[in-house]
Amino acid sequence: MIQKALCLTLFITTLTLSGCALGTAVQPWEKQTLARPEMTFEGDKLDTAYTEHIYSSKEAASGGSGVGGGGCGCN
Amino acid sequence: MKSVTKQKTNVIGAALFAAAMALPYSQSAFAEAAPERGIVSFKYLNYKDSQPDQERVSVNAYSVTGMAPIAGKWSVSTTYTNDSVSGASPERNSHIVSGASKMKDHREAVDLSATRYFSKASLTFGSSYSKENDYISRGYSLQESISTEDKNTTITFGGSYTTDTINPTVNKDQFYDKRVVAGLIGITKILTKQDIVQLNIGYSKGKGYFNDPYKAFEARPDKRESKTLMTRWNHHFDEKDGTARISYRYYTDDWGVNAHTLGMEYVQPLPKEFTVTPLIRLYSQTAARFYLSDFPDPSQEFPMYSSMDQRLSAFGAITIGIKLEKKIAKDWLVDAKLEAYEQRAGWSITGGGDPGLLPFKARSIQLGLSRNL
Repeated sequence: MIQKALCLTLFITTLTLSGCALGTAVQPWEKQTLARPEMTFEGDKLDTAYTEHIYSSKEAASGGSGVGGGGCGCN
Repeated sequence: MKSVTKQKTNVIGAALFAAAMALPYSQSAFAEAAPERGIVSFKYLNYKDSQPDQERVSVNAYSVTGMAPIAGKWSVSTTYTNDSVSGASPERNSHIVSGASKMKDHREAVDLSATRYFSKASLTFGSSYSKENDYISRGYSLQESISTEDKNTTITFGGSYTTDTINPTVNKDQFYDKRVVAGLIGITKILTKQDIVQLNIGYSKGKGYFNDPYKAFEARPDKRESKTLMTRWNHHFDEKDGTARISYRYYTDDWGVNAHTLGMEYVQPLPKEFTVTPLIRLYSQTAARFYLSDFPDPSQEFPMYSSMDQRLSAFGAITIGIKLEKKIAKDWLVDAKLEAYEQRAGWSITGGGDPGLLPFKARSIQLGLSRNL
């Protein structure tokens, strides 16, 4: 129950946040900050790979951020 | 007899951990323009985990990755990972297991991907291969990203297929297969000059051998279907020049596991080209329906599905970490990251943890070097 509530809240938050930008589109010349590495979702590729794979071998849940991470022998 | 079997189990758990360490990298679900410059990075990982009074698995891994743009319309990437694992069997359940056995394992993995960029879209094909003593994995993926005219909204579709072969060292004539098909739909949206959000919905369906071949009372279902919902939000604070990165993932599967993961980090540039990033991660999961907290009662009928794997029990986990980066020269970046992780049965937010499980701790150190080309 708690999970569902939390899940729903976050879902709605995201949708709401998405909605609030309508009509005030960010222009190409306003994207310097967004171009910084820490503002992308990619991050440090090798760091992410090590970290995700440690977690997927120690916890039952995995995935969610992208495709291609198959081949797990971690059951 | 039982304890011998458990020892093997745990040693192999370490081997499987090694397998997991060298998996192909997930592609980021976000379309970008063709990169102007290439990059080469190297990273070293040292990982150690333990339970009270007992050291467990220790991992040393090395990875090199390179990306090169080609003709302004393509980019190719490749990564090579080499790791070695050594371990002693863990004291998984304090009232069951004793003693330790040593193991060593070595593994290599390679992945390769190519991306074609269009004016408002990109298409990536990826493949991966990894091999160790008793486990071979091959994976293929395809991902398409399409952006709106103003490039403030990007929709991503991805799919992957993975086929694994398991050849247990205890029975070299036996081969098992596992195949997993996965798909993802995502939307990434620029909200303001300082805000970007992402929502991904993922689905995965696997068939074949999910057991740990070295484990006693191991009879998992031969299929697993999971769904994920992930949201991420990056916000830049202009006054401090820092960036907060928040992510939340909900995971659910047909084994009965439901999990929540909340990640938060804050990236702060400092004088002299330093950047510091403290981070925290909170995790909680429920147990798989067939998780057994103790050996089955021989007088009772044996359950159809079962596993005593600690990773399928209910628990919560906390990670704290810090990363330090420094630009040492034009185009050169060095970084170091420290993380401490702890897992406890009592920390599951939904309860139901197995009181027989000892707290599990891990710590990792990463050292990296990268150069823009």
